[in-house]
Amino acid sequence: MTNEYNKVSVLIVGAGPAGLSAAITLKTKSPELDIVVIDKATDPGNHNLSGAVLEPAALARLMDPVDPDWKESDDAKNVLVSTIDKDDVLFLLGKKFSFNIHFAISMAKKLGLGFGQMAHGGDYICSISKLTAWLAKTAASLGVEVLRGFAAEEILWDKNEHIATGVKLIDQGLDKEGNKEENYLAGETIEAKTILLAEGCDGLLAEKFIKQAGLQRQGEQLYSIGVKELFRVSDEQYKKFTESRVVHAMGYPIWTPVLGPGMFGGGIMYPMGDNHIAVGMIVGLDFKYHDFNPQDALTRFKEHKFVKQYIDGGAVTEAGAKMIPEGGFYAIPRCPETQTVGRSNVMILGDSAGLVNMCKIKGLHNAIDSGIAAANAINGNLDAPKGLARLYTKHLEEDGVMKDMESAKNFRQTVARFGNLIGMPLSVLGGLLPKFKIEPDYEVMTKASYKLKLDTKFDKDAFTAAAATEHREEEPCHLLIGDETICTQQCLGKFDAPCITFCPAGVYEDIQGTPKPANPSNCLHCKTCQRKCPYDNIRWTVPEPNGGPRYKTM
Amino acid sequence: MNYIVLVKQVPDVSQITDNAFDPKTGNLIRTRLASVINELDAQGLAFARQMKILSGDTEGKVVALTMGPPMAAEVLRYSLSRFADTAVLLTDRALGGADTWATANPLAHAVRKIQDELFGGSDDYYIVSGMQSVDGDTAQVPAQMAEELDIPCVPYATDVEFKDGQLQFTRIITGGCQIVEPLHKPAIITVAKYEHTLYASFVQTRQANQMELIQWNADDVQATAVGVKGSKTRVIRVFPPEKTSRKCQHVESVEELAKIILESQGKDEQAEASEDGQAMGYVLPQNRQDAFDRHYEGTIKEVEDFKVLAAKLKELNIADPSGVDDAAKEKILADDAVTFHKKALEDMLEGLKQSTPEYSGEVWVMAEHAEDEVNSATFELLGKARELADSLSVHVGVVLAGYNVGPMTDGLIAGGADKVYLIDDPILKDFDPHTYRKVVSDVFEKYQPQIILYGATPQGRVLAPMVSYRVGCGLTADCTGLDIRDSSRKGQIAVLMQTRPALGGNVMATICTKDSSCQMATARPGVMKRMEPDSKRTGQVIECSVELSADELSLKIHRTEKAHGQVNFDADAIVSGGRGLQSREGFHQMVSELCGVLSDKLDISVEQGASRTAVEQGYTERVYQVGQTGTAVGPDLYIALGISGAIQHMIGVANSKTIVAINLDHHAPIFKQCDYYLIGNAEQVVPELAKAIRNAK
Repeated sequence: MTNEYNKVSVLIVGAGPAGLSAAITLKTKSPELDIVVIDKATDPGNHNLSGAVLEPAALARLMDPVDPDWKESDDAKNVLVSTIDKDDVLFLLGKKFSFNIHFAISMAKKLGLGFGQMAHGGDYICSISKLTAWLAKTAASLGVEVLRGFAAEEILWDKNEHIATGVKLIDQGLDKEGNKEENYLAGETIEAKTILLAEGCDGLLAEKFIKQAGLQRQGEQLYSIGVKELFRVSDEQYKKFTESRVVHAMGYPIWTPVLGPGMFGGGIMYPMGDNHIAVGMIVGLDFKYHDFNPQDALTRFKEHKFVKQYIDGGAVTEAGAKMIPEGGFYAIPRCPETQTVGRSNVMILGDSAGLVNMCKIKGLHNAIDSGIAAANAINGNLDAPKGLARLYTKHLEEDGVMKDMESAKNFRQTVARFGNLIGMPLSVLGGLLPKFKIEPDYEVMTKASYKLKLDTKFDKDAFTAAAATEHREEEPCHLLIGDETICTQQCLGKFDAPCITFCPAGVYEDIQGTPKPANPSNCLHCKTCQRKCPYDNIRWTVPEPNGGPRYKTM
Repeated sequence: MNYIVLVKQVPDVSQITDNAFDPKTGNLIRTRLASVINELDAQGLAFARQMKILSGDTEGKVVALTMGPPMAAEVLRYSLSRFADTAVLLTDRALGGADTWATANPLAHAVRKIQDELFGGSDDYYIVSGMQSVDGDTAQVPAQMAEELDIPCVPYATDVEFKDGQLQFTRIITGGCQIVEPLHKPAIITVAKYEHTLYASFVQTRQANQMELIQWNADDVQATAVGVKGSKTRVIRVFPPEKTSRKCQHVESVEELAKIILESQGKDEQAEASEDGQAMGYVLPQNRQDAFDRHYEGTIKEVEDFKVLAAKLKELNIADPSGVDDAAKEKILADDAVTFHKKALEDMLEGLKQSTPEYSGEVWVMAEHAEDEVNSATFELLGKARELADSLSVHVGVVLAGYNVGPMTDGLIAGGADKVYLIDDPILKDFDPHTYRKVVSDVFEKYQPQIILYGATPQGRVLAPMVSYRVGCGLTADCTGLDIRDSSRKGQIAVLMQTRPALGGNVMATICTKDSSCQMATARPGVMKRMEPDSKRTGQVIECSVELSADELSLKIHRTEKAHGQVNFDADAIVSGGRGLQSREGFHQMVSELCGVLSDKLDISVEQGASRTAVEQGYTERVYQVGQTGTAVGPDLYIALGISGAIQHMIGVANSKTIVAINLDHHAPIFKQCDYYLIGNAEQVVPELAKAIRNAK
């Protein structure tokens, strides 16, 4: 009897928008099918962080088949704070000046230029944590088993048959040295007919699977780190900001023409309802300053006159950090022979596949659509599991996801290659440009210093407290250092161990001359260290489930 | 052997964010908290599993039992996904709003039904429960269940071993621990700390989600006291705790800091004494100069309303509240200052006619002692009892039970007692909840006091609930405030208002006893003030004989161990070290030196502590870690050496009375969250400071 419970028809790893969209769509089409979604967080949405701006059409494609009146539900009203009617794109110059350049974006849109996609009018403003919680509730009400607090370690991949047989969960109840404690529970094996990898950016299983199954990316995956704080502001400030407006800011404090600094990214301000404004800073991980901490840039942004007027005196009620995959179309992992996004009975969805459109600076719509595509591929075809990745890829192509990705295929790379000043205008040429060879983010690191570094240290402890992150103190450290002598003999002397600075949670510290992940329990699961260590010397492994941040309105 | 594991769904107070509080009133909005299994119940589940493994009996059934609304099924699924094989949900609207009395009663009846229907009548089982829940923090329900079921209770268990064919339990007692074994089964074990909570298995989770729960209502289990009606306490008022604001005073010299540290203890007492001065003592109605003086009402709103009413009555020249006719009532209600309704007015007028106290009899304290000495908590209670009894014009009595305890009576009389009820019997040599609760109940029945106070100690917190349940009285746990007030809208004069923190200290509640002949409370040690002992005081020792036989013992005590090397975070002062102390040697040298000099000079208990970083750096052991992820502490004096003041650390020391910080970093966040700070290198400052303290007069 108990043996049956470790067998699943459809196993979805990751209860985010992509995985839950697949579950919801598939369960609606095949109610008899057993679908299990597992997630390492305690509650759905706890590990999701985004702006977020969401295209209504994608949500309608997901929800209409479930309930035509979904928009009228209390949950929908609670999640979808408002729709955008004012869409400011600012260019910040110094600490005081700001210019609204939205006119240029709307002109580009009229001309059909790539970066015209950045116009967000009519889109929903929402918190992805809340959206995810709602989707999980919807999935569960349809009969999907959404199991929280389970962390998968690897896919069981049959090399000879080219088919996945299941996943293995991580061992739990080990002490710091890896000894079994009284409550030790060996990682269980779950057998599955098909597996959907929807773990979000830089997915642990997805990246392992890319190697296991020999998938390839045409171009390097590039990343950005987003750090964000949620402010509760006064009635007047909130009213002044308005609830139907989003602000995207470029320039200061991460980019100024000629003099520098020169980094990709920008600041954001989104209203989150109930007098809350989210303020964030997104910075491309190809920054070259060894002493740069994205939170310093966030602080500078918050101190800018334009931003300050809305949040001055407000209280930070939540905070968090997460990476964004920005490599775009060329960085989608595919099977070299068949071009499938995934292989055989394993499909890679959403951010795990890198389905973020960098012109729109959005990926939520593609996450949802990739989930729908995976569901459509599986529906009725479970008897021939080996063909599922092919069907999935076909749906991605025919149902618009790939088209959306292609339209922005060179944007991020052009900027990475030529810098903001030349790269941005050049990206107008969009798809006409050839594919560039771009180095991975970690290789871009110099001894140069960030000019606008703060005089005082950013309070990372307050930041992680606001993220409510927690792990069992006694579990083995989930951050693995490849070769410690690189840290002490090369990195420390040359770059002063940047991990200590850039980790938004203050996980890394210099312990008597050795940079170490001294506070793994503060980890926010953003994985920046794994992608930005200049010697590619850090590996993020999954800690015991039910740990990590507890985002509620991120 | 079978097991029943008690689990409770509670609001997740470990995850309280700023947003959980109403920004205007400061009140906690409970619906903004997630619901989780009570952490100690999760530990209890793991403890039960360990008991089952150790006893080697693989056949036994494991039943998870909870009482709560339908959504409490979640904690049953939690249990099923880890260890339990059957789950019983006791749910009924009628059960809502219950206090511990009306919770213990239906749960005990459910246990009986489980024994009959699921265990085939066998009484070979253990009931395992968390010692207390984070929302109530009372620890009363398991003990009261033990009383209802008349079975042994092993409170505050921390470990279990299997010896000579029996499970033996380590339990916490004041100042150490004890290895005990219940003499009969079934027995209740309450778990105070057991680290290794269980992980959910994927297979069992799926199974649990599909399993049908056994659901019973109040009638199914034939409970005899349920819901608000069956409760013996009621909540008068809930309010946010006072936020302590720190002084953040910069101290320039070591000498000045030494002076501040030396004075910190005395100063606090003064501050509190002046507060006490403001809070009026109670005056009985017949002794009041103004018959309409209603300063003595239970809630602020009532005091305000009565003030308005008294002014209005004076204005209308009414001296006798019975003489208020309908016309006069209309006049009163028409006044703009009047914010109450007609029903409230009639209640108030009725209240004004009352002058007979609701309760009569003495104010009692239950004495606790170890090694021929009465403990300090007892003397603190005596100080409070004296104050209460004086305002009620009654005597203070102390119940002293034990063997060869006669010599302690003088000290109790000197400490404020008028009468000592002495029960001296060899069977009472060691504390056994069963024999002690019998003795106290019998003496209570004979003398009928109006109030009994117990220390909120491991002993008091099991004895009080058993006695209260046995004699049919309400009980409030862990009080920090005890005042006599009127509650005349309920027609009650001179009742005990019992104020206590709840929900992990995030709210305060004032509670009254109802439907009881006596008001009982346990009070936190260290909160009440003892009297200056006066050896000239006289009192009466009343020797009581209670029939006891060895058959009435419920526990076999294998051995008692005094604490040594154990961390005592209840100490008067804690000296903590952080990363700023640079090395393991430096840490020990500096922390020990300061600890030593403080305990010598001030004659107080001092313990060492550490920040998380200091532990990570290997300066000291993890047991000393103070803070949100270590142990939360609240000493009179907290000294932080080289600690930067991460928020997680500061949350864990927030209850400290005085916080002193020494740090080299001018920008250390701790400077904004302490009372006094000195900027300097701990390595230099500490020896100088120790010297200055030692040499002070």
